[in-house]
Amino acid sequence: MKRSQFVATKSGRVERLSDSESEGIGVRVLLNGAWGFACDRRLSAEGARDAALRACTFASAAPGKHSRQLAPVAPASGAHRTHVERDPFEVPLAEKVAQCLEADEAMAGPDILVRQAMVRAQREHKLLLTSEGTEVEQELIECGAGIECAAARDGVFQMRSYPSAHVGSSCQSGWEYVDGLDLTGEAPRVAEQAAALLRADECPSGVMTVVLDGDQVALQVHESVGHPTELDRVYGTEASYAGTSFLKPGDLGSLRYGSELMNITADATTKGGLGSFAFDDEGVPAESTPVVEAGLLTGFLTSRETAARIGAGNGGSMRADGWNRMPLVRMTNLHLEPGEGTLDDLLADVDHGVYMETNRSWSIDDKRLNFQFGTQIAWEIKDGKLGRMLRDATYTGITPQFWGSLDAISGRGSWRLYGLTNCGKGQPGQSAHVSHGAAPARFRNVQVGVRS
Amino acid sequence: MNALDIAKAALETAGGEAEAVAHVEHSGLARFAGSEVHQPTLIENAIVTLRVVHGNRAGIATTNRIDAPGLAELAHRAADAAESSPPDESFPGLTPPTDPAAVEGYDEETAALGPADQARLAATSIDAGGDVPVYGFFTSGVSELAIVSTTGLSVHQRMTDATTLVVAADENGSGYAEQTAWRTSAIDPSAVAQEAAEKARRTRGAGEIDPGVYRAVLEPYAFADLLDYFSHDSFGALGVLDKRSYFTDRLGEKVFDEKIFIADDALDPRGLPKAFDFEGTPKRRVQLVEAGVARSVVWDRARAAQAENGAESTGHAPPAELRDWGPLPSALSVLPGAAESVEELAELVGDGLYITRLHYLGVVHPREGIITGMTRDGTFRIRDGKIAEPLVNLRFTVAVPDLLRDVVGLTNKASLVNSQNFYGERYPYGVMAPALASERFTITGVGSKPGI
Repeated sequence: MKRSQFVATKSGRVERLSDSESEGIGVRVLLNGAWGFACDRRLSAEGARDAALRACTFASAAPGKHSRQLAPVAPASGAHRTHVERDPFEVPLAEKVAQCLEADEAMAGPDILVRQAMVRAQREHKLLLTSEGTEVEQELIECGAGIECAAARDGVFQMRSYPSAHVGSSCQSGWEYVDGLDLTGEAPRVAEQAAALLRADECPSGVMTVVLDGDQVALQVHESVGHPTELDRVYGTEASYAGTSFLKPGDLGSLRYGSELMNITADATTKGGLGSFAFDDEGVPAESTPVVEAGLLTGFLTSRETAARIGAGNGGSMRADGWNRMPLVRMTNLHLEPGEGTLDDLLADVDHGVYMETNRSWSIDDKRLNFQFGTQIAWEIKDGKLGRMLRDATYTGITPQFWGSLDAISGRGSWRLYGLTNCGKGQPGQSAHVSHGAAPARFRNVQVGVRS
Repeated sequence: MNALDIAKAALETAGGEAEAVAHVEHSGLARFAGSEVHQPTLIENAIVTLRVVHGNRAGIATTNRIDAPGLAELAHRAADAAESSPPDESFPGLTPPTDPAAVEGYDEETAALGPADQARLAATSIDAGGDVPVYGFFTSGVSELAIVSTTGLSVHQRMTDATTLVVAADENGSGYAEQTAWRTSAIDPSAVAQEAAEKARRTRGAGEIDPGVYRAVLEPYAFADLLDYFSHDSFGALGVLDKRSYFTDRLGEKVFDEKIFIADDALDPRGLPKAFDFEGTPKRRVQLVEAGVARSVVWDRARAAQAENGAESTGHAPPAELRDWGPLPSALSVLPGAAESVEELAELVGDGLYITRLHYLGVVHPREGIITGMTRDGTFRIRDGKIAEPLVNLRFTVAVPDLLRDVVGLTNKASLVNSQNFYGERYPYGVMAPALASERFTITGVGSKPGI
């Protein structure tokens, strides 16, 4: 069962206030080596029986050779609930509306055309039962919030958001997470920067050093490390929609993904991570495993089926977008481990470059090699210090070369968790909620500025 | 229960002034990869969204618990949402009774397809791929939409849809094809797989080109995708009100080549017909672009009331959970041109690129209509007026207005291209587009070879 609330205001009025719930049962069967899945909204013996029978019908009709094997898992039982200080569904809707309107109002200013604020909450209560003997109950609670404003003048249009673009940032937490974001406190800066961007110079083109803020590093990890290391993509089973991967199964343990500073961990146990759980949707217990160590590919994100196929790992990354979708291999929480020092230390070693903040646009090819990202705001770096503000900054690259050019990551002090709720995959489509721990990072010899 | 009964039951439970929207889905999707069905999904669901009105305050809640206790709780949550909303001076009230014209779009044969049929139609595509493994799906489903309110409004529509989509790919090449219709008899899973496999065979040995501005032929798949993305910012009333639309301050001006006529036409029986929108307003055909001149955008009641410029709803209200996106087209239709075939377009182009399909589009700059993405599953060079050697996947960064400003030609037949990725509730929609030849398509990067 899933309940979600979403409040969004726009320029002083409530734009959307929705409160929805959805419940049901999904049954996945493995019949003579073939999968079948069916679901029913009725939480009753009849609904469950109907779904199971239809799943079996589909599995027996499915064309193919079907010899699917699963990595073994010990039957488990247990219960898990996200720790919350303040249950988000106990927070009155009126308070949520007031929080949005207050932050919205605090963004008012010259040249500000549109102001938006949003808060969200979700509670997912699920019970996993398997014929292997697993019986697990979990209640996962998320909260999120964000503000954004658009400025326009003389045909120039610019946007600025906090803490992230694309519906803010979320966390497995109680309402204390939203309160801690201090949307109203950040609002004036967000508005000032949006207005200042109207007068900023366009980001120049050229090959130069780029320093990315943690938000953009998180997206870079998501798109160019997370997706290509999903083992179902490596095997081609996502080819008809999200795409495949430049990685091959044989690359495990031998492919150089990036520089020696690059350490990536898949961690389903991170406190507050949107991909945290006690057990995944196949009943595999949560764990923390390396994916890239000192620049070398040492792990994939797996299901029990893909783990058995490659002969490594034991699954643990399977999640479904609710009761009416099959579980798929999804990122849990995928982190770029921190380095040392501060953002200023990163900038200090740059003669000429660009510092970019907050993702604005993103695109990457089906193998996750050729990417192009844009950020909302940037500053020139000159002789180790930030200079003039720049607008419309973009950069482009090829995944292993780009990560190979990583030469510094800031330390634990600037390492944060970024939670995104719009990761799409599968047919029918499924949205996953994923967190990434990231800190500002520096990359050398990057192609900056792509003109149409 | 059918959608109309569910909506009526919810309205009755609400007591006071209210509107109920019920959306029912029965569907099956047989997804295959490497020529084997691996993700067969059957979905049964029914949701109802209740909008309760207290004066000029409205509150919305959604559930799929359609028994008496579920609906009672729904009414309570919607009332709480209404009480939590500040008064909205521009609230236009609930839609008065309407009488939408009957449309086609429901087919008994398609509605009757069950899992065994869906598996069989997937097998037809798998077999037709021949020596090239295929990745894709066959899906069919029934969706029902009913809207009733205390104004006396009562509208109801049943829709069917079926899609076959195939990526044919091996290590050396890949091709793509798809067909969508509301009648399953109008789609040919075998022909789709053959078209994709034939395309894949022609992409073997792909070469690179230098970035730059090329003339290009875009198949309907590529043109429809680009136009769909462009429409999100530019063809809806909210984009114009928020000034992020390319049409901002340009309505009435000639913006594209005079060969370009674009409408939104949900009444067209060749598409996926819709009688009314999510507020019950009858669908109107809206001419967005006429002979290259920006004519209008699509509206719903809320935005028309806010605009205070005499605008009326054109029947484009989105579902409650997408309210903050504003009204958007969902049946874009581009008028065909004079060319007999894509080969004739290649002749007109002489020297350029031939592009089958695009992947992972991202809006770089909404106001300027700049979109980036990759080509995929069939990119070729055009030389001496002929479709020539295959090319690797290319990154493009294109201002859609530049692409449409100098149009070399359009084919004389439009195809329906599916636009739904089956996230959330099933609501079939697509774009009717011919193939397009343009003077300008900007390549900004080179990706990997086609193939798995």
